[in-house]
Amino acid sequence: MPKLLPPLIGESLRRSQGLEIASNLLPIRSGFGFDHRVMEQVVLAEALSLRYGTYTAVNKVTLAISRGDCFGLLGPNGAGKSTFIRLLYGARLRDEGELLVLGMDPQISPRQLKKRIGVVPQENCLDDHLSVEENLRIFGAYHGLYGTAFRIRVEELLKFMSLDAKRDAGVKQLSGGMQRRLAFVRALLHRLDFLILDEPTTGLDPAVRQLLWEKVHELNREGVTILLTTHYMEEAQKLCRNVAIMNEGSLATEGRPGDLIQKHVPGFVAIFDRKSLEARVSEAALKTRFDISFSLEPIQILIRAPNLETLLNLAKEWQTEPLMIRPSNLEDVFLKISGKDLDRYA
Amino acid sequence: MLETFRLAWKVVEHHWMVYRKNLFSNSSITISDPIFFTLAFGFGLGAYVQDIDGRSYLIFMAPGLAAGAALLTSFFECSYGTYFRLNFDGTFKAMLTSPVGVSEIIFGELLWVAIKGAFMTFVISFVLGVFGLIQWPFIWLVPIAGALVGVACGSIGLLATTLVKNIDQFQVVYSFLIAPIYFLSGMFFPIHPDQGWIYWLVQISPLYHGTRLVQSFLWQDGIAENSLIHFPALILLTGILGVFAYRRFKRKLQLI
Repeated sequence: MPKLLPPLIGESLRRSQGLEIASNLLPIRSGFGFDHRVMEQVVLAEALSLRYGTYTAVNKVTLAISRGDCFGLLGPNGAGKSTFIRLLYGARLRDEGELLVLGMDPQISPRQLKKRIGVVPQENCLDDHLSVEENLRIFGAYHGLYGTAFRIRVEELLKFMSLDAKRDAGVKQLSGGMQRRLAFVRALLHRLDFLILDEPTTGLDPAVRQLLWEKVHELNREGVTILLTTHYMEEAQKLCRNVAIMNEGSLATEGRPGDLIQKHVPGFVAIFDRKSLEARVSEAALKTRFDISFSLEPIQILIRAPNLETLLNLAKEWQTEPLMIRPSNLEDVFLKISGKDLDRYA
Repeated sequence: MLETFRLAWKVVEHHWMVYRKNLFSNSSITISDPIFFTLAFGFGLGAYVQDIDGRSYLIFMAPGLAAGAALLTSFFECSYGTYFRLNFDGTFKAMLTSPVGVSEIIFGELLWVAIKGAFMTFVISFVLGVFGLIQWPFIWLVPIAGALVGVACGSIGLLATTLVKNIDQFQVVYSFLIAPIYFLSGMFFPIHPDQGWIYWLVQISPLYHGTRLVQSFLWQDGIAENSLIHFPALILLTGILGVFAYRRFKRKLQLI
């Protein structure tokens, strides 16, 4: 697998361009309310809001994403993640708040900003009428990329995403996974500092998902800051150093995945077959237990307790073997924050 | 400004890349309509119609068909075509993740229909010329009128795209706006002040002014006086429609 060319991505190229570095070192304009230097933060949002009529899609979101981070934005459907992402590259205009991305206000300098960020939108938005190569050629043209260097770049990226055999294929001839990989290639054509991935692996099979995780990880190692939205908690836990959970347009919580688990859902989760457990203990009885929390799912019941011993004792008391006992994870945090967890003791 | 133009041109390049994939089917309606209008109205009906201002009905109608092609190509491109790019193909969504912005997308759409309008008007004039239905010397002026009609009617298409709730509603716009513009543009019968409300109504039709210009170029008749009247009128209407379409479509693009 060829190594992704560092000179075209991230810090190294910009180091050779003194001006860009110098502009990054400029402190944020006065009155913004942050003390950080732009250099350290790729995204700085303060009380960012966007409304559609009476509906508030993004509600006073304050968030900072550090350079080099891989940041996960989690939340249920309709939480405002995609709208927040669109605000970052200027495709939506905020109603309130302040926003700087790579030191630039997306509403003031969208073109300059978009020359340095790559976006993989939720829908691939590939041109079905064109071939793989044509899709990349026209997108390269938007970035002002032509010639031999660009062709070499395209070849490398196609190899990087294992698409080199499909260069002349029409988009419609590609599988869903290939189309997603092509959307990645399109976002990586230019030199970028910040990659935004909106639900990058939704609807993909586990093998393609693993491949894309590997590529995202590789890009992050090369120095590209990454923001991804996802429904897959495993994805967030594997890839992201920091995550934030959005719910109904607001930021519910943020931090390192491990810290969030400890803060919101410490302990272990036992998963019981719903029918078997309901035959032995009623929902009303579960509600009287203040040492556990539980979540009713269609065919399972999840019981969470701060320690393993409590769960084992409960299983003995109810004379039912759990299907599985596991440490709590980000999914439990997500369920709790999004209000789907009937928490009793937190 | 230069960068805006460069990016708008890239939008045009994109549309051309897609358009040329199905060149024949994409251009067939614009080219076949004038041919069959010439056959049916010119050769067919024309035999029963007396000369108009000393011209046979076929020669009277020919320049209008060329101008009308600019209306049809630009309206269809900026209605159905733009609607697809906006709602189904994700073309604009993808463009907005690149340095292309909403202004460049709109300028690109209008530049594309200006080129298509100019090209179609010229090609049809050329074909009519081959059949001896036009005067050749001023054919090179025809694309200018075609481009302006293209931008004006493309703007109507963009406005329609901001208003329709679904793609079927374009049929209503076509039936009650575009078809009347097409048939009341001075293409099929001359427009005179004694026609009352029709005369005053067609003054706000970009195609009427475009038709009058193309007629004067291809009949080689009254080019200077017609240009002095109809170029400013067409430019004004194009400007008004263009600004209106830009504002409304910009808001639409900011919500995708």
